[in-house]
Amino acid sequence: MSNYFAIGKPIPRIDAIEKVTGRAIYGDDLRFPNLLYGKVLRSKYAHAKILDINIDKAKKLLGVRAIVVGKEMSSVLGGEAIMDYPFLAIDKVRYVGEAVAAVAAINEEIAEEALDLIEVTYEELPAIFDPLKAMEEGAPLIHEGINSYRHIPVIKPIEHSNICHHVQFVNGDVGKGFNESDYVFDDTFTTQVVQHGAIEPHVAIAQYDPTDKITVWVNNDGPHRLRNDLSKALGIPSTKVRIINPPYIGGGFGGKGGLKEETICIALAQKTNCRPVKILLNREEVFTSTITRHSSVVRMKTGVKKDGTIVAREVKVIYDTGAYAEKGPTVTNQASVAAAGPYKIPNVKVDGYCVYTNKTIAGAYRGYGIPQVAWAHESQMDIIADKLGMDPIEIRLKNVLDEGDICPTGRQIMTSIGLKECIRKIQNDSNWKKVHKKAIGRGIACAFKNTKTPSGSSAVVKINSDGSIEILTSSVEEGQGSKIVLAQILSEELNVPLCSITVSSPDTDVTPYDASSTSSRTTFHMGNAVKNAAKDVKKQVLEIASNLFKARIGDLRIENGKIYKIQDPGRKLSISEVIQSKYRSGLDIIGRGSYYPEVPSEKGGMWASPSVFWMYGAHGVEVEVDTETGRVKILKVVAAHDVGKTINPVTCEGQIEGGVVHGIGTTLFEEMIIGEKGEIVNTSFLDYKMPTALDISEIIPIIIEVTHKDGPYGAKGIGEMTLVPTAPAIANAIYDAIGVRIKDLPITPEKILNNLKKT
Amino acid sequence: MDRLINLKINGETYELNVKPNTLLLDLIRDEIGLTGTKRGCDTGECGACTVLIEGKAVNSCLVLAIEADGKNILTIEGLAKNGKVHPIQEGFIEEGAVQCGFCTPGMILSAKALLDENPNPTEEEIKKAIAGNLCRCTGYKKIIKAIISAAEKMRRRG
Amino acid sequence: MLRKIKEFEYFAPSTLSETISLLAKYKGNAKIFAGGTDLLIQMKQRKLTPEYLIDIKNISELNYIKYNEDEGLKIGALVTHSSLANSEIIQEKFNILAEASLAVGSVQTRNRGTIVGNICTSSPSADTPPALIALDARLKLISAKGERIVKIKDFFTDPFKNILKETELLTEIQVPNLPPNSGGAYLWLPKITAVDETLVGVGVVITVEDLTNKICANARIGLGSVAPTPIRAKMAEKFLKGKRIEDIICKQAGEIAANEASPRSRAEYRREMVKVFVKRALGKALEKIN
Repeated sequence: MSNYFAIGKPIPRIDAIEKVTGRAIYGDDLRFPNLLYGKVLRSKYAHAKILDINIDKAKKLLGVRAIVVGKEMSSVLGGEAIMDYPFLAIDKVRYVGEAVAAVAAINEEIAEEALDLIEVTYEELPAIFDPLKAMEEGAPLIHEGINSYRHIPVIKPIEHSNICHHVQFVNGDVGKGFNESDYVFDDTFTTQVVQHGAIEPHVAIAQYDPTDKITVWVNNDGPHRLRNDLSKALGIPSTKVRIINPPYIGGGFGGKGGLKEETICIALAQKTNCRPVKILLNREEVFTSTITRHSSVVRMKTGVKKDGTIVAREVKVIYDTGAYAEKGPTVTNQASVAAAGPYKIPNVKVDGYCVYTNKTIAGAYRGYGIPQVAWAHESQMDIIADKLGMDPIEIRLKNVLDEGDICPTGRQIMTSIGLKECIRKIQNDSNWKKVHKKAIGRGIACAFKNTKTPSGSSAVVKINSDGSIEILTSSVEEGQGSKIVLAQILSEELNVPLCSITVSSPDTDVTPYDASSTSSRTTFHMGNAVKNAAKDVKKQVLEIASNLFKARIGDLRIENGKIYKIQDPGRKLSISEVIQSKYRSGLDIIGRGSYYPEVPSEKGGMWASPSVFWMYGAHGVEVEVDTETGRVKILKVVAAHDVGKTINPVTCEGQIEGGVVHGIGTTLFEEMIIGEKGEIVNTSFLDYKMPTALDISEIIPIIIEVTHKDGPYGAKGIGEMTLVPTAPAIANAIYDAIGVRIKDLPITPEKILNNLKKT
Repeated sequence: MDRLINLKINGETYELNVKPNTLLLDLIRDEIGLTGTKRGCDTGECGACTVLIEGKAVNSCLVLAIEADGKNILTIEGLAKNGKVHPIQEGFIEEGAVQCGFCTPGMILSAKALLDENPNPTEEEIKKAIAGNLCRCTGYKKIIKAIISAAEKMRRRG
Repeated sequence: MLRKIKEFEYFAPSTLSETISLLAKYKGNAKIFAGGTDLLIQMKQRKLTPEYLIDIKNISELNYIKYNEDEGLKIGALVTHSSLANSEIIQEKFNILAEASLAVGSVQTRNRGTIVGNICTSSPSADTPPALIALDARLKLISAKGERIVKIKDFFTDPFKNILKETELLTEIQVPNLPPNSGGAYLWLPKITAVDETLVGVGVVITVEDLTNKICANARIGLGSVAPTPIRAKMAEKFLKGKRIEDIICKQAGEIAANEASPRSRAEYRREMVKVFVKRALGKALEKIN
């Protein structure tokens, strides 16, 4: 069934015209009358008690309208997984860069000057920066309240410790498995702290109205989630919180979710007599005081038979979540589920730990913990293949999951798996078979990624009497293409031209619930919701038309926005004419649709169920290593991804190409350097380097379609998967080129040269 | 001490009183109200604030408004003429070179500066011209394709 | 810490003499403003808070690239990296300088940043100084008291510090004509990505007796980003004199140059890269001798 006119077509994005002409509105482009500007005073210490904050001088500065400190909101704690996050530091600071006080003033200069006048007295406490040390018995507690924090049921903090979550999955018996193995491999891999690097910084504007309702304009990737988080934290009904997204977000990659600077805006707005307060983070603050990607230590122990069959795998995953839990516990969960890799393994044990340290908070980041475990399982796969004298592709084809297999953690039977197809695409690439030249090598890696389950999405499709159609959705367009994809789905389902469709941006007072635009879930979940809403609105329109045409609904068709009876195709009426035939003085047709996956058991709630779909991908990378400088040049990347069904192939390719370059950056170039006092040393693009146009190679994106029975038109997801296999594929290619195995990201020229010297 | 300056932005003349410490970026976005030019990093690394001054690409976050006195400035809003988009804008739409769009205005202007000077650039020359415009979304491939396509259109249309 | 730039008074003189008077009047409270690509960042970081900014971009007499066979090359204070790299005379006769200018940042930075500004900022990792050292450049400094000429390598004293007095302006770079059978190359290794600060910069100008024997008559090697200031690798230069420029000699010259470097961070790697890049730059410079 592939005679679609909209699905699978490379239709230009509907938001592109606004963006290329500079008319697209982002958070900092919004304008407000009577605006006050907020600036934040941040801790210079990684761990310290706040003894006193003196704001007397700052209060007197002309132009200052409000000052707020954490103690004034001491009963407020937020957080989706664990509610451990104060809007401003209350009695102590836990990382360098934490908000301690904030000022709202009539302009930014005065707000900044006021910060200079605030005097904070600290008493330094011993700080821990190493997660392994933080896990030790007797380590100083970063969160004394860990036993008492509220948290979602699936999260399990360990009392009196810095471990805010421990999860374990067991399937079979790993001890027995290792005994039955011919070889056992035991390797430890680490990854570094990296930045999301969205070019648009974070911004929020908050304003109370006289009824004590707070409205927040913010570039956040989950407006309803934010509304819920804020209403829980503040202890107010969710109708007293309104989240409005600007039409567009300039990139997110996970960095613009959860509670960020809007909490401080809200704290200030409580004191400004209903004047709006805006906080625009500068790039330095984005680095120090938003979130980063979890650095990790992953120990992977694998037992195999001499023919390459994996018999047992034991994984210990440690994620350093920094000063507050944020999404850390659920990252740990998701990644632990996937830690053993997309393989058939009868005996598996995974222990995942999420650990507090006195560093900048780590949170959701494209891949949600899975790049780190894939770094481990795919690097080790090649170590195993090398020892056994097996081809890296053959050993993977031998072990990867097939339709109907049980996933390594034993939680679910896997279906809709396009992984072998992805791997074979790389195998068939012309470069793969070429004879090796000196210092040129190639490597492959494959992986899978889940989506948060269960999660729900609703949509409304509204047809106006002039025939124009609106999708009311809380999906957030942050570059991934949600607007065009949802429009294409509606266009196909309702059989209307794309140009008649507009897609709203979120306003929680108006657009219905969506869990978030994260976890690569929008196409699947919101796509289904839109599809269902389309069906609803189609039914209503055809009911009116059946009267008009004097026909049964079954004999009516809609084609390109026009309705006709199959027995008389010459007589066509537009949807608008049909609506107006009944509602002459005006009315619209409203269709609603929702999607919430069927889950085996609701015990455990959020994040507790096996993933409703999985994404699969494999990257093949060819590198050339300059053995004098240690610099790695990426020559070619073949990136094959199973997306179920591509709604828009150009957008899909764009996600793949972007993800590959993002992956190259976080493998070879990027690292947030932590200084001795726990401060981030490189807090700007001057010394945190992301790939430029001059750093890229040939990239071949390949779309594989193994449909999912529950996805809209069989579609699954793509966004996060695209950077998961890149790092291990590069490491494997480097090993192929020069026999050097790097287990710690990033792969730097120095590490290569130092290792070359040893071999 | 405020100073009166005259400048031309997208062909329109403006007479404004500016403080010496005002950045050109802020003048464009706040005083003039053209928000297409973006603020990304404040240190001239990301290129999101790129504008053309006398045809040359510069980071407006590192230009004082006061120095723009007497100059011709082009921002993204000045590219389309009489409702018709520029071939570079067309190329970006057609080739799927736009994702979040935040780098797009600066990227397009850097491309314009290149193509106005070098109508038939190699891929390497294109990469050099946009090396100061960071993009985290696209991986640059479709952007380069869009610029090649635009160059061809511009050569054909003369 | 990024902040709004602190208020200052702005001057835009149209003559050199006006500028000198202003400098004399305001001394250390004034900063010269040309490209501003370093200055404005430092002012945003409040590392510098000058009360007066003297914008010299209206002084047309400072914007020139002049060349004649006798006096060699003269570059005015307002020449940007872009102009320098695009200049035909530079590409033809002093190509090493075009290469060094192209190593500076992105197109946007090069359209604003001046080569004189690059020298005055005196970052240890600046790209043009090593090339200018290899070219045996001199600098003209002007103040109310008169003018003085200094050698480029004597200009730098410490990281971000130089001998320029508060009342002085660097107005011109002078590069002597290169003898026949000379070639130069500037090679650099970025710290991480392609548009980045330089980790190791090597500028080399060699003169051979003739193209067949390839015996080195003279060599000048400038090294950047491997010491508190840009330096000359004098011992490596001495080693090369009189020797035939071939692979093994270039390699040895590189090793000697590496010992003359005193890098602070990533020191071991930087020294290794001095070896590699001096070797490669010598080879490249030889190729360029047509």
